[in-house]
Amino acid sequence: MTAEAASPTTGPTVPAPAGDDEPTATPSLARRTLAVFTGNRLALLGAGILVLLLAFCFLGPLLYHTDQVHTDLGAASLAPGSDGHPLGTTDLGYDMLGRLMHGGQTSLEVGLAAGLLATLFGTVYGAVAGYFGGWVDAVLMRITDAALAIPALFLLVVVAAMVTPSKPVLILVIASVAWLSPARLIRGEALALRSRDYVHAMRLMGGGGARAVFRHIVPNAVGTMIVNATFQIADAILYVAYLSFLGLSIPPPAADWGSMLSSGITYTQVGYWWLIFPPGLLIVLVVAAFNFIGDGLRDAFDVRLQKN
Amino acid sequence: MPTKPPKAPAPRTAEAAPEQGTLLHIDDLHLTIAGRGRAGEERTVHALDGVSLRLAPGEALGLVGESGSGKTMTALSVLGLLPPGARVTSGRILLEGTDLAAAPEPVLRGVRGNSVGVVFQDPLSSLNPTMTIGAQVAEPLLLHRGVGRAEAREKAEETLRMVGLPQPGERMRSYPHQLSGGMRQRVAIAMALVCEPRLLIADEPTTALDVTTQHQILELIGELRERLGMALVLVSHDLGVIARRVDRVAVMYGGKVAEQAPVRRLFTAPRHRYTRALFDALPERAAGTGRPLATIPGLPPTLVGTPAGCRFAPRCAHATEECRTQEPPRRTADEDAPDHTYACFHPAAADATEHAAEPATEHAAEPADAAPDADADGSEGPAASADAAGTGGPTGDVLLELDAVRKEYALRSGPFTRRRDRRPVSAVAGVSLTVRRGETFGIVGESGCGKSTLGRMAVGMEDPTGGAVRFDGQDVAGLDRAGLRAHRRRVQLMFQDSYASMDPRMRVGAILREPLVIQGIGDRAAQEERVRELLDEVGLPHGAVHRYPHEFSGGQRQRLGLARALALSPSLVVADEPVSALDVSVQAQILNLMRDLQREKGLSYLFISHDLAVVRYLADRVGVMYLGSLVETGPAAEVFARPLHPYTRGLLETADSAVVDEDAPREGSPLAGETPSAARPPSGCRFRTRCPLATELCATTPPEPSEPAAPGHQVSCHFPLVETARAG
Amino acid sequence: MIRFLLKRTGQALVVLFLVSLIVFVLLHQLPGGPARAILGPKATPEAIAHFNHLQGYDRSLPVQYGMYLKRLVTGDLGESYKLNQPVLTLLGERLPKTLLLTGLSVVLAALLAVPLGILQAVRRGRASDYVLTGAAFVAYATPVFFLGLVLILGFAQQWPLFPAEAPQSETVGGILAEPAGLVLPVVTMALGIIAMFSRYMRSAVLDNLGEDYVRTARSKGQSQVRVMARHVLRNALIPLASLLGLYLPTLFSGALVVESMFNYPGMGLLFWNAAQSNDFPVLLGVTLVVGVATVLGSLLTDIAYAVLDPRIRSVS
Repeated sequence: MTAEAASPTTGPTVPAPAGDDEPTATPSLARRTLAVFTGNRLALLGAGILVLLLAFCFLGPLLYHTDQVHTDLGAASLAPGSDGHPLGTTDLGYDMLGRLMHGGQTSLEVGLAAGLLATLFGTVYGAVAGYFGGWVDAVLMRITDAALAIPALFLLVVVAAMVTPSKPVLILVIASVAWLSPARLIRGEALALRSRDYVHAMRLMGGGGARAVFRHIVPNAVGTMIVNATFQIADAILYVAYLSFLGLSIPPPAADWGSMLSSGITYTQVGYWWLIFPPGLLIVLVVAAFNFIGDGLRDAFDVRLQKN
Repeated sequence: MPTKPPKAPAPRTAEAAPEQGTLLHIDDLHLTIAGRGRAGEERTVHALDGVSLRLAPGEALGLVGESGSGKTMTALSVLGLLPPGARVTSGRILLEGTDLAAAPEPVLRGVRGNSVGVVFQDPLSSLNPTMTIGAQVAEPLLLHRGVGRAEAREKAEETLRMVGLPQPGERMRSYPHQLSGGMRQRVAIAMALVCEPRLLIADEPTTALDVTTQHQILELIGELRERLGMALVLVSHDLGVIARRVDRVAVMYGGKVAEQAPVRRLFTAPRHRYTRALFDALPERAAGTGRPLATIPGLPPTLVGTPAGCRFAPRCAHATEECRTQEPPRRTADEDAPDHTYACFHPAAADATEHAAEPATEHAAEPADAAPDADADGSEGPAASADAAGTGGPTGDVLLELDAVRKEYALRSGPFTRRRDRRPVSAVAGVSLTVRRGETFGIVGESGCGKSTLGRMAVGMEDPTGGAVRFDGQDVAGLDRAGLRAHRRRVQLMFQDSYASMDPRMRVGAILREPLVIQGIGDRAAQEERVRELLDEVGLPHGAVHRYPHEFSGGQRQRLGLARALALSPSLVVADEPVSALDVSVQAQILNLMRDLQREKGLSYLFISHDLAVVRYLADRVGVMYLGSLVETGPAAEVFARPLHPYTRGLLETADSAVVDEDAPREGSPLAGETPSAARPPSGCRFRTRCPLATELCATTPPEPSEPAAPGHQVSCHFPLVETARAG
Repeated sequence: MIRFLLKRTGQALVVLFLVSLIVFVLLHQLPGGPARAILGPKATPEAIAHFNHLQGYDRSLPVQYGMYLKRLVTGDLGESYKLNQPVLTLLGERLPKTLLLTGLSVVLAALLAVPLGILQAVRRGRASDYVLTGAAFVAYATPVFFLGLVLILGFAQQWPLFPAEAPQSETVGGILAEPAGLVLPVVTMALGIIAMFSRYMRSAVLDNLGEDYVRTARSKGQSQVRVMARHVLRNALIPLASLLGLYLPTLFSGALVVESMFNYPGMGLLFWNAAQSNDFPVLLGVTLVVGVATVLGSLLTDIAYAVLDPRIRSVS
């Protein structure tokens, strides 16, 4: 061997970030995911909106005290700017601003809980179908097909009509319908991951099914799960609103944005616009925020694993 | 930044050159591609840096280079069909005097498909899936010739007939997915030629095709070029493809033309050090010599920013300070060859005889692409004693035995699968072979011949539907759970796409440790020590453990794949097309590494590849597969020198070798036709439908293996080519 | 092709069977069972037992399911408690009107969404793309009833251009005779579909523009417009057919809300009224019919997809 030949310039053949050949410089996947996510302006906007809304609903009542239990028909339907009521009052005399905070708690709590529950159950269901395949898969998937064939809102209404809504019941009812689409999604993901070469490689080393599922399939499906959970939460918040609109919400004095909106409908003729727009816009805002976040997360998870 | 060195001695400009002798003149073309780096930062790749080329009417120019060399960009820039972000920053592209680089879109549209036709790499994705072939071929006529629909259809049909599409009239109404790969590429060629262009640009037109189909397509292009008198720019990474099809060759490296010469001259007496190194890295140059391949260390430049000096200097064994700081000027090779130019300060000697002797010394430049700290001393010893093992043939005991293994797949029915009958696909039809300890058994065949299925059965990834896989005399199917788990240590698989075979979320350290963890070998410290050992063996730095698979280049990933396969110290590694996705220079690194490790550890390989040259270089014995059956086996040297099966001979004659030798003109007939479907294999001998020697007997009786010529050289054919072999 | 159709139809039949099973289970999940629902909370246990015996509700569940299926096959979906009419008759009146509303909305949405999606894809990364993307997100996030409300406030009250109530005619023809009354319901329903379809078109066109065949088409000398019209559009539109199939349940959900908002006499309104009055035979009958319509609808779109895409069509 000649000295001359042994000197391939030790350029960074692994194109390291910042031209640094120190191997420890590789940022973790989590950090890179975060970097892509924060690079997405809409996603950041969504996260910002969400933080503000959470603060508004859960911290707001600590600073802005109102009575959201007792009606005050003497102060009903006051216009915004009325004394002590910056956003006016509802038809039953509740302070609008305070009611928005109060109602938002219900919408967000039920939405978050139902969305997460649905994702969790759907994931397990889908993973079982996808991993076992064969007739297990066929049976489980035909069931979801059938349930998906009945439009969600019809199913929700029938179920809600049979029970007396309360927060936990509402969460269960919505989750019982919403788990279907994550189940289908994760099942597809599991089917695809199961036949990846790296799972084959691991099996050839003598590894078993448990290792395949917990070390390879689940970690690689986590991205899909998280993204889907965000969309599920957005949908669940919408479902809460729809159910309330159809008159199937938690009975007063409890409230949520959907029921506030639907009780405002009665007064469109007389022009009480402040009963309608604030809750409506808040629903739009929070659902859009979750969708922005989900979209940004999807990009982040996609980009992370791309070659270069 | 040093001052720009003087230009070529005789810079020929468009004004100075006689225009009538030039069809296309690319003059000092610079092209950048704006993109993003991994961290999302903006970066500009200088894909072309002063490319100048000239093409006479009717001339064929070959554009060769490894991936990223700029050959495709050069070709696509002619028609302004650049990918998003790519931009010509300076230079001219003169087509018959018109500067296409500066031309507005309507002018370019008038040229595209009209005076210049293009054929792309992948014939399936290049055709519109929802449009009939007839409509797609007729389209350029409607655009440029202003003819009516009926006339366009007539001409389209005529062109399809010209490119050898059977029953063109009926095929006009077919959709692309209904044709085979070769037929699709014929359609693509018809589309490019329907307006009878003066220039055809073919960008890797056969890379996606099988060897025999590749040959047919290249022959067709050559034939049509002569018939229509058009010029050709043939872009390829494959020197073998270029060798026989063009008049002149331009070798590109790092966005520049490194060397340009008439084809024969370039292949026999290359001057640029890169060209020379590229030739030396070809497996066919070292096949049968027992010598390791010459390799080019490192990777091609990324071209972010414009480096000073010669682009090849960082990888060049002959580079000096001058090369690293100054750009080499373009020189003319010698007085009597003004059309042979190169840009190198320290060119190889013009004498062609030096060439053959050189690889042994250049092999010194072997250390791995990313292994500044890997000690290359160890690899030198076994390489020197190569000859004995390489030619003598191993005499070890039988390690792996495949005994009449069969694999049938039931065709899954779904909306996308065709299911005329319920007959299963017969992927492997009774293959028997043995792999001895310490030897490399190569399996060659075209795609769909069942070689990968065979490999998966050998490694135990799939169970055979018939026959037995025996390892060390023990039937693998009879192993219980624990036995199978222990068996896994003895056989490992090296994947074609190592990237896909590694969990993208795991760091390399965890990936390499996984086999040890699964098999419960050693504690964590011992496992980590073993991982470092493995990285040393495959020539990667220890720091690699902290990185993710996507941060490595293709060659490095194959090293990682090999390291993982070796983690459990197996006695057999099944390697399925381990180098088919790599550039020639990187491929040589991997092949040498596999060879060195084999000698160090006494490994056996079952090496599967479609590439005859690669198999010929690495294998002690080979088996040739056709449509699920093994048609011929024997010592590599024997089979390649004296093929007994008509298919083997056809393959060898068809394969394009990068050796230009006028003294040995080709004879015989390369393989015609296409491989039948494995769902309906022909009766008797499966090759009979394409065999020139087939008789009634071949249709009724499957041939049994025999040894008509030499011991150990088996062929399954009723009419083995014994006479011809002797005569040849 | 025929094999594909048979297989797909077989699958649809299995799903239909399961849909009926789900509805049957729901029926039996009613608190106190159907008897309590029909006879009211004040019914005596004896009356309930008598009713259950008469209806066969005291038999085993599989037997009951068999009876239920038998009634279904003969078209007997039960009788509305409140309207005292067979559910089937009610549905026969209402279903066509719902299909009319949905169909008009889909057509309107497709007419707008396809060009919008193409525009976004062509101008990707520019201001117009961002604005439209943002608008699509907001449209998707807007509850249909909030949108309807805003439209009513704006175009029925502030500027009284259209009536806030849908046509009340008994027949489809009668409804079509009052197009002004259809404007707000159809627009309300179409907006969400536009958001969804334009998002799809944008990404489908972008995907197709990146395909090799587009480069081939350009290499023949075609203009961008021609490449788009002749090559990209067809490839992007075909999958829209199957997307529509997947989207059917959402469409029916939307119809439920829109109909109850604008008092449009379709199936959704029937359903909503039944929900208000616990009219379970109607609720379950409508649910069943909507499920069946969805299954048949997605079967049809799959077939359409197969007919349109030569890659599937030729697999005969």
